[in-house]
Formats: sequence, C-alpha cells, structure tokens
Amino acid sequence: MNFREYKIGSRFFALALGGSMTITLFMPSLDIGSVSATEIAMDKQLWAGHESGFSLEDPLLLGWHKPYKVLLKADPKTGQPMDPTYAYVYEKGTPFPGGILHPDNLGPAAKKLSIDKGHILEANKNAGAVFMVKSEDQKQYYIENATATLGWTPEGVLKTAGDENTQHAAAGKSLFVREGCWWCHTLLPEQTQDWQVFGAPPMLGDFNGESPTAFGSDRKAPDILHVASRNASKEWMMLHFFNPRLVQPHSIMPRFDYLWGPVDASGKKIDFAKWRAEYNEYREGKRITPPEVPMYASNSEIRNLIDFVMNLK
Amino acid sequence: MSWKMDAPMVTLSDDATTLKNEALWEKEDLGGLTEDNNPIPKPVIWLVVLTVITAFLVTAPLWGQRPTAALYQSYVDSMDKPEVMAAKDDEDAMKMIVAMNKGTSNDALLERHPLTMDDLRMIKDQVKALEAKGVDMKDYTVVGNHVVIANFEGNYRPDGTRIRQQPWWDKGYTIDLFYLSYFFLAVFLIVKRLPPTTWQPRHGHGSH
Amino acid sequence: MLKYLMARNEDIPPGSSAVYWGFSAIVWFVIGTGLGAFNAAKLAFPDFVTGLEFLSFGHMRQVHVMAVIFGWISMAFGMAMMYITPALGNTKLWSEKLGLWNAFLWNVGLSLGLTVLWWGMNSGREYSDFPWFIDLYILCFMCIPLGINVWMTIIHRKTQGIYTTNWFFAAGTFMISIVLIVGNLPEYFHLTGLTEAYLTWWNAHNILGLWITPVAAAIAYYTIPKVTGNPLYSHRIGHLHFWSVVVFYSTPAAHHLMSAPLPEWLKSFASVEGVLILVPAIAFVSNILMTMQGKWNMFVENLEIRFTVTGCLMAIPLNMQGGFQQTRAINWYIHGTGWIVAHAHLALLGFSTFLEVAAVYLGMQTIMKRKLWSLTLGNIHFWFLLIGFTTYWVSMTIAGLIQGAGKIYEVPYIDVVIAEHPYMIARWLGGSLVFTGNCFWLFNMWMTARAGTVIPQGRMPHELAYER
Repeated sequence: MNFREYKIGSRFFALALGGSMTITLFMPSLDIGSVSATEIAMDKQLWAGHESGFSLEDPLLLGWHKPYKVLLKADPKTGQPMDPTYAYVYEKGTPFPGGILHPDNLGPAAKKLSIDKGHILEANKNAGAVFMVKSEDQKQYYIENATATLGWTPEGVLKTAGDENTQHAAAGKSLFVREGCWWCHTLLPEQTQDWQVFGAPPMLGDFNGESPTAFGSDRKAPDILHVASRNASKEWMMLHFFNPRLVQPHSIMPRFDYLWGPVDASGKKIDFAKWRAEYNEYREGKRITPPEVPMYASNSEIRNLIDFVMNLK
Repeated sequence: MSWKMDAPMVTLSDDATTLKNEALWEKEDLGGLTEDNNPIPKPVIWLVVLTVITAFLVTAPLWGQRPTAALYQSYVDSMDKPEVMAAKDDEDAMKMIVAMNKGTSNDALLERHPLTMDDLRMIKDQVKALEAKGVDMKDYTVVGNHVVIANFEGNYRPDGTRIRQQPWWDKGYTIDLFYLSYFFLAVFLIVKRLPPTTWQPRHGHGSH
Repeated sequence: MLKYLMARNEDIPPGSSAVYWGFSAIVWFVIGTGLGAFNAAKLAFPDFVTGLEFLSFGHMRQVHVMAVIFGWISMAFGMAMMYITPALGNTKLWSEKLGLWNAFLWNVGLSLGLTVLWWGMNSGREYSDFPWFIDLYILCFMCIPLGINVWMTIIHRKTQGIYTTNWFFAAGTFMISIVLIVGNLPEYFHLTGLTEAYLTWWNAHNILGLWITPVAAAIAYYTIPKVTGNPLYSHRIGHLHFWSVVVFYSTPAAHHLMSAPLPEWLKSFASVEGVLILVPAIAFVSNILMTMQGKWNMFVENLEIRFTVTGCLMAIPLNMQGGFQQTRAINWYIHGTGWIVAHAHLALLGFSTFLEVAAVYLGMQTIMKRKLWSLTLGNIHFWFLLIGFTTYWVSMTIAGLIQGAGKIYEVPYIDVVIAEHPYMIARWLGGSLVFTGNCFWLFNMWMTARAGTVIPQGRMPHELAYER
C-alpha cells in the first residue's frame, strides 16, 4: 500500500519542538551562565555542601558525608585568639560543592580570585579541606581554601571550635528535603510587599552552586528563606518542632518529636507515650502546664534541623 | 507539487493535489472513526485573535511589583519641609507628605505601596546617597528597609551598566512576535493544503 | 495476565495488555486518592496520626502526587494507547507481549519508586522527586517502551492516514521521553543553582503540558466520535490544536518562577506564551462540542459521554485559570497559595481524569466484551467524583484567595491558617468522596470482568441495555 509518510509533518514537529527548546532552554542558559555568585551563594553552598537531596554519598538522606559550618574564635594552628570567623569544614571523603568542583559557577571575577588567592583547585576530597568566604574590598567575595593557604586541617578546626560552635546545617538541609518541610515552607518569598513578613526575595546570583534549590510552590505556612532573621531562638524552635501547638495553638504543622531519637541530651530514654498522654491531659484541661520538652542530644537529627533553620537568615 | 494561488483563501493546492487528497480521504477508514472537512469556525478564529491580543496586553508589566526608589524620592525630599517637621505626630506628618505629592503620574503606585514615617526614615539616607551618586533611581527597588539594585536584567546602557527596570517591552516580546508569526503561517499553510472545505468526504458510504 | 508474560506474542489474546494496564490504573487511582484523602485529613487535623515518621505529611505528600501522575493518569493513558492506537490503524497492537511487560515493569518500577520516596529518598525537586536511578528507570523501562509500541503500531497501520488521536499519542510518548531526559539533567549531571531550579520547573510544566494535557484530549477525540457515531467535526481544528500544543504549551515553563531572578525577557516571553495555551484549549473544546451536535441526549444517557463532556467542559475554567494566573499581575497575588492547588486538581482530577475514566470504562467493556456490571455504581462513581472534586476545588480556591489576601495585606500568617481551617475540612471531605467513588469503581470493574453481560461480536457496549 502506498502509505502517506507524513514527511512534512515530522519535519514541522522537529522544528516546532526544537525551536521551543532553543528559546526556552538554550537562550536562557547563556544568561543564567553569566551570573556571578554573591556572598550569600558562596556561604550557602559551602554550608549546604554538594547535594542535599538524594546522592550516592547520602542515599537515605541521613546526613552522611556532610560539611560543618563552624565559628572559630581562635586560630586552629597557633591557638591564638582571633576575630570570630566562620569556616566550612569538609572532612575526608566529603564531596565539595558546585563552586569548588566547577569554579565557572562562581562567575569570572570570583573564579579568578578563588583560584589565584583562594587556591580552591588545590582542595582534595581524599584529604578534606577547610574553606572560608573572603573579600578584600567587601564587594568582590571569593572562596579561600584555608587548608592550602593557612594549613588548617578539618580535624584541627573542628577541635578548636568545639561542638557548641559547630553547626550541622548541611545535614539539616537534607532533613528539610527528607521530611518534606518544603511542601509547606517555601524558600522563595514573593516579589511583593510581603517582605515585611517573609523578608526580601532572593537576588540574582544568590543560588549559584546550590543543589537542590527546593523553592517549594505549595505554601501552607510562612516562607522561611529568612526565618532566622525573624526568630533566632533555638528554644522556641525546639518546642515548636516537638509539638508546634505548644507555642502556636492554631498551627497545623506536624509534630517532629521523632527526630529527637531514643534518648535526650543526658542520655535518658525519652518516654514518648507518657509525654503524649500528659499532653493530652493538658489539652483537655486536666493539667495546668504541658509536659516538659526533653532537651535534644547533640547527635540527634533535630539538632541538625535546628542548625539548618538558624542558617536561614 | 505546485500551489494554486489565484484563490488562496480557499486552497493552496493545485487541482491534481486536491483530487489526490480527496481520493485519500474517501479511502481512509481510521478504525471506524472519520473526520469532517469543515472549516475552522469564524468564532474560533476570532477567539484565537482575541487571545493573541489579550496575551500581549495582559502580560505587559503595567503593574510593577516592587516600588522603585524613584517613587519615594519626592516623599524623602518632603520630609525636610518645615511644615512636615512641625507636624504634631508621625501620622499627621505622613498625611501631609502624601497630600503634598498628589497629582503626579505616580499617584496609583504610591497608593498601592503606602509607607509610614518610620519606613521613610529607614530609607531616607540610602535614597539620598543614591541621589548623590547620580544613578537612575528607577534601577533601585525598596525592599523592606533596604534600597537595593533591582532584580531585572535589561539592556546595556552606553556606559556599560545594565538597565534594571521592569521593561514594558523587551527581547521576550520580540521573540514572541516572531514565534507567533511562524506558528500562524505554518498552520495557515497546513490547513490550506487540505482539500477545499466545499467538499465533504463520503465516510464509508462510498464505493471503496 | 501474568501467565502471558512468558507466552509467545502470537499466543497472547489481543487486548490483554490493555486490560492489565486498565486494572493497574484503577488500583493506582484508588491508592493515589486514598493517600490524598489521608494527607488532606492531616492538614485539617494535624494530630490525626502523629509521631510516626512514615505516616507524616512530609513523607506522604509526594507519594500521593507521583502515584496519581505516574500510576493512575499515565497508566490510564497506557491503557488507552494499547487499544485505541491499533483500533485507529485497523490493525493489531505491534506487540502485546511488550505491552504486558511494559505494564508489569511500570507497576514494579512505580512501586519501588514510591517506596523509596516514602522512605525519604527525595531528590528535592518538585514533580521530579524520585532519585535519579528511578528517573532513569521511568524513562528506559516505562516511557520509551510505551512509545515504541505506539510508534510501531502506527507505522504498521492498515489505513492511509493517521487519525488525530494517534498524532497526539505518537507525539506525546515522544515528548515525555525528551522531557524526562532534559528535565532530569540536573540530577544526572548535578547542575546547580538557578539552572537546577529552572529545569525543575521546565520538567514539571512539560509533564503536564506535553504529556497529560495533549494525551487526555486525544482520548476525547476518540471517545466522542466512537460512541456518538458522529465524525470529528473538523480535521482542520485538529491541526490547530495539535500544533498549538507543541508550539505554545512547551514554552511557558518560566511562569512557574515569576519571583525568582530569572532573566526578565524569559518571563515576558513565557507569560505571553502562557496566555496562548488558550489556543489549543479553544480548538479542543470547540471541536469536541461541535462533534456532539445532534447527540446531546447522550450527555445525559451515556456514562462515557457524560464523563468525557464533563471533562471537556472543565477544560474551559482550567485554561482560563492557567492562561491568566501566570501573568505578572495575577501571579503576584495567587502564587504559592491554595488557588494553585485547586488549579492543579482541576487539571488532573477534573479535566484529565474525567476523560481517562471514560476511556477506561469504554475500553474495558469493549476488550473484555462485557457490559458494565452496574450502571447504578457507574452513576454513583460519576457523581462522587464530580461532587468530591467540586467541593475540593471550590474550597481550595477560596482558601487560596484568603491566603493571597493575607499575603498582600500582611496579615499574620497564623490568622490565615485559622481562616483556612473550614476549607481544609471541606477539602478532606471532597477528597474522601473521590476515594470512596473510586472504591466503588474498582468493585464495579471487577464484577464487570467476572459477571458482566456478554457483548455479542460486532456490537458496541453502549448498544446494549444495562441489567443492573
């Protein structure tokens, strides 16, 4: 049979779909690729690490192979006091973020400084590295590999800073993805007047190197891109995560008490059943005060999540 | 294949092609389904034209979203006027400033983005500093208590800086115009290559 | 069905794979809407089930979305393709065996994917939440084999031309494959930042725009002429529809990120194209409604036509919303609110689901040669879906408008939560109604397979009277 071959139709189809993808994918990629990373983007990718969603290094999103953000008050090499400085610690085997792996992500000026002055190309995943965000003129920021420039080792920095000055924000961001926080709390305030509530919308270059951006779209709760600027109380966060209705009676947020793990800060087993029973009594008016929320252990998941939230400024 | 162009609104095909198409359509069975050779109804064409016009009208950024620094320039200037300084409280002072700056093309925008005296005090120095620098105030938006460079990336100015204003017309609209022209041209050609609408196939009732 | 997986292709009765796809789709629909109703209950009553990580909202929300998109809707599409594509080519399906394996692998892959997703192995990218190895599986073992079966059946057709429905089927399976390759590049190659954000929404937009919307419409192009006996009103409008889907629907991805710092020109371009999605909508609705000429009694009397025309009518509010809510002026107000959730359900649970339900009803009866077991249950299914969906849509639209107003007028967020509470309860009731209706449907279809009246050779299901 002499079939119609639809030659014209197929070519038109290829033209239509190809044209559409040229305009909507290729052309914007030129613009997006030319954006330089801001200080915010450098800080964010350094504390969040290579990937916060699923990755082979952390397949179950349990916070494996994640960097730490630490506040240094003394030089880790000499032990001399110094101005408080943030450093980002990548232990052995922790994958580096986008900007270190592909310095083009940082934009031309930051890339040049980060390589020439910051020596980021010398960072080695197998040895670990410590990074800092630096600037000489407070305008152009760059990333410095303190392991190469100052000889700081990840172990030394972590030891000098101590647990109280170490933030597990990267592991916390994985929890943000795993626990589905972003289904209600977006990370993208509107270009409207709602800055007074949610803070300023992100600027160009604030995301370079971040993965995933996890903006979220289905907002059922306040935007939290700048939540720590509004509320920096870890105690409030702790109560709110354990049972949001302790601090906000009308909240519809789920309880995240299971992130406390089996034991509290003093190593005592947490009796969740008893807590819930007492809370129910409180809710029914049989108790005057709600039961005490147990202080979380320093290696609990909720600590990571609170450290993450505290970095959303 | 040559096109018959003497009556182009009916068909672009020559008689031989039309006959061939008609024969094809008569034979096609399509699993018991058939298609009529009806024209695209006029109301549908009008709706499509209306959609195209609406698309451009409704998306042109008539409604700027964040207030620019230029919007509050006159407010900031009015703050230093003696009658405002003499106002009995902030509320009164703000009312005075608003009244003083009525009657410009910015009226509607100012109404949409109201401020208090506290807000004005927070941005005053920043606005003044920018004025002193001689930049285009429309390139800056007021976000909370910050006056920051706007998020828009427009064309380059002769001095190399970028226009940071939400454009009423930009590259996107130009691409749209070309894109639409190609689409409608292609659809016109495809549709006019079909047999003339005066002819209807005899679905399955023919002699095949 | 499973016994045919190892049989020779010639030994498999034609239509076996369509039945397998169809029942799988219905089961996923029950699961998906059940999860939806459960999630909605948690939004209305946050302490409903508490303290268990794997029953928390954040672990289940994406499972509902993915079960509905890839389980119900896509498998219903597969079902439609398995019987409509060969029927329109006067031929047999290219490979029943491939069809069966495809459905089998689809169920296995989706079960695996939803399990890991439930576990928390999330890519953090909306509508592409699966980890990349599942994305790769979906592409290679789910979408491409489906496409191959459709394309080969069309190539081996015994008609001269290709009917409109099959243009969409062939193009839709091709486009979803492209979308899944390009849209998941950030996961395969670890692209970051704004590129990742934009490709996430390019992917999300095009799963809807180049897969669900066109294929659902294509099904109506089959159902309406087949059941009414009227020829499709105009081949020309079909052209307008097809080309405008490819050209306009594939472009406005940026309108999902109007408040992100994407290039301004891209937003301008995308929002004009976004309004132009009304062009395929106008073409589709006018073509279907004109085809109904002289057969409007069937809108009342015939279950499949009632489902299809209702879905088609829902395309009108759907596209009016879709076209205009993405413009800068309106997006400012409703972005990120319940309005969008209502709109998404109008697209998937309203428009598209009603068209697919009709195709599954019609196809199952035709292939199994069994008249639907109970018309009463069919009617109950229709009204439960319609009332449940409408309750959901109206309540979420109102909730969204409240949220939008709260956002613009800077109302403390908790007051918005309090104001939304009644609508959250309505949403849960609506969702539960949909779930209940689907349970009836599964039972009805099961009984049809076992005890439906046999349809004689050469007759259509709607030519026979119902017995119950």
